[in-house]
Amino acid sequence: MAGNEDMIICRCEEVTQAEILEAIRDGATTVSGVKRRTRAGMGLCQGRTCRKVVAKMVVTETGQSAEEVLPSTYRPPVRPVTLGTLANEWDE
Amino acid sequence: MIQKQVVVIGGGPAGLSSAIAAAQAGARVTVIDENQRPGGQLFKQIHKFFGSREHYAGRRGIHIGTEMLKEAEALNIEVLLNSVVYGIFEDRTLGVIRDGANLSVRAERVVIATGASENPLVFPGWTLPGVMGAGAAQTMVNLHGVLPGKRCLMVGSGNVGLIVSYQLLQAGADVVAIVEADSKVGGYHVHAEKIRRHGVPILLSHTIREARGKESVEEATLVRLDKNWHPLPGTEQDLQVDFVCLAVGLTPLTELGWMANCRCQSVPGLGGFVLHHNDGMETTVPGIYAAGDCAGVEEASIAMEQGRLAGLSIAESLGLIDRTRSADQRASIQERLKELRRKPAFYDSSADLGNREASTADRASLEPLKVGPGYPTEERFQQGPTAIVECMQEIPCDPCAYVCPRGAISVGRPITKLPHLDTGKCTGCGLCIPGCPGLAIFVVDNTYSPTEALLKLPHEFLPLPKAGEIVEALDRYGRRVTEGRVIKVENPRKFDHTPVVSVVIDKRFSNEVRAVSVRRGRHGR
Amino acid sequence: MKRSAMLRVNEHPILGKRPIRKTVIITVDGNPVEAFEGEPIAAALMAKGIKVFRKTRLRKDPRGVFCAIGQCTDCVMTVDQQPNVRTCITPVKEGMEIRTERG
Repeated sequence: MAGNEDMIICRCEEVTQAEILEAIRDGATTVSGVKRRTRAGMGLCQGRTCRKVVAKMVVTETGQSAEEVLPSTYRPPVRPVTLGTLANEWDE
Repeated sequence: MIQKQVVVIGGGPAGLSSAIAAAQAGARVTVIDENQRPGGQLFKQIHKFFGSREHYAGRRGIHIGTEMLKEAEALNIEVLLNSVVYGIFEDRTLGVIRDGANLSVRAERVVIATGASENPLVFPGWTLPGVMGAGAAQTMVNLHGVLPGKRCLMVGSGNVGLIVSYQLLQAGADVVAIVEADSKVGGYHVHAEKIRRHGVPILLSHTIREARGKESVEEATLVRLDKNWHPLPGTEQDLQVDFVCLAVGLTPLTELGWMANCRCQSVPGLGGFVLHHNDGMETTVPGIYAAGDCAGVEEASIAMEQGRLAGLSIAESLGLIDRTRSADQRASIQERLKELRRKPAFYDSSADLGNREASTADRASLEPLKVGPGYPTEERFQQGPTAIVECMQEIPCDPCAYVCPRGAISVGRPITKLPHLDTGKCTGCGLCIPGCPGLAIFVVDNTYSPTEALLKLPHEFLPLPKAGEIVEALDRYGRRVTEGRVIKVENPRKFDHTPVVSVVIDKRFSNEVRAVSVRRGRHGR
Repeated sequence: MKRSAMLRVNEHPILGKRPIRKTVIITVDGNPVEAFEGEPIAAALMAKGIKVFRKTRLRKDPRGVFCAIGQCTDCVMTVDQQPNVRTCITPVKEGMEIRTERG
């Protein structure tokens, strides 16, 4: 990526390249770790857009392999769902 | 809690194929899709598919989608649309949101056929409105009939980038350039040729440096890359564009599989983490199968075969078909998968036209073509009209072998073999022209008159030229080399929207002209 | 002919002529906009050359369509008072009120 530390990586939470690099240098070695420190991946799209980019940054900065840097745990719901909807059980 | 026998998550080519295969064996199948209509990517694919007959080769994606839906309907497959599977829980229980309500569906067998998502490319300005996935532009144009802008920069020359560029041209946009970071074109060469002959430059070893604009894209800066893919300072150039499409790969959507504890493995060549599966497409969780791009990003034809395999395996596991009966079917599918996965190779590596700098008389690019099995001899050219098959890459595709009424074109098996033209049998009728999904077949009659040749070319654009009209005759790089006089335009239903234009040109250019441009301007306005 | 009208593909070499659809009026930030019933809100806006759908919370950056299939959530706007509606997959209805989201 062309140097431009101000560049947005997580579009939803507006987390920059600089913030993610800082999180990694601070000790984050997984995508979850970066997420917890920066909120990257916690926004509306739940990391769908930035996950792979963050993973690549972790791989590049820490020297781990792609397999070692697993995507963060997938928790339901994998799509944005309002709580009201989840509570609205449908009997068929 | 609703009980179902077989639930397929995702109604694209893989999902529908698995549903059809399972239902054909007698299973009760439900397909759940989050979209308003099923078909996945099929309804955006307005081009003719490659592959072989079993993959509906030569048919447009949109029609394949309709066919598959008809088959599904005839088999009483239940299709739940606007329904989102948001989780897979224990015992193959699915959480589904439908009509704003939460549903629990317990399935005996599940197929995860959730496809893949487009990769982002990060660069300064990538969040500006106007920067979007190539698939996003395809959706806007082919599904919604709206152009995202008028001047596009396409980033990436894989099949998606090449195909979407072509479709943008068809919809009336200008593709100002395609940039490819690698030193060679990523997708099939026939896809590259289709757009190159209409003047779209493919800049190899280039990438986008930045997109700029006040509130949306107005300009993009390109930069050249060195052998190690590092930007070369001083090689920046600015392009005025109003949208930028990113065609830089797809990543399998494996979320549901992860949740269900299906083992995933990282396979960079297949797009990243893919759902691991056995020969029968079953994941590491019994009863859960995977098919299509979520099991590895490949082609639609492969997605269909994998779907069939999953459906078959499910039917076997439910005791609906005899293993010995299905063994034959499985074997055929495996054969076809092997065939479809053969790596495209060149007949002659110097035929990699992408590497050539465009020169004023680029005869050099012709030489490799001339030695191909689809190219007539000089002698044959002087005997009368003949087809020319400019297909020099071993890709899995063979519809040309079925369209000639005289059987002059043969491919054989494996279907990656280059088409061979028997010029003795060929009469130059041109029926092969609309039959080639790659639009790589032309007819040339060098005997039309002492100074003129008659060319027959495919032309999938508007406006269509009219008989008697004078048009620009373009070479393989989209350069106007002469003018042409249109004498006929054939567009019968059986050509499926690939009109064939018969144009008379100065005979000296008959080896170069491969496209025409109508002077009236696009869309006849 | 307005420039933005050229963004609608009314006749296509493969897809043919667009079928006639019912026109509806929606409002975007109070302004009436013509749209076709049932098309995604994002398509109606893009057809009019409207590309900025929202401004981000922190940096006030403009955002619009990115994935067009409901996954990235960049195209969300407030629709009939409901925030965060994915306009690329939500069909237009007569009288719909659409507002640019800020944050």
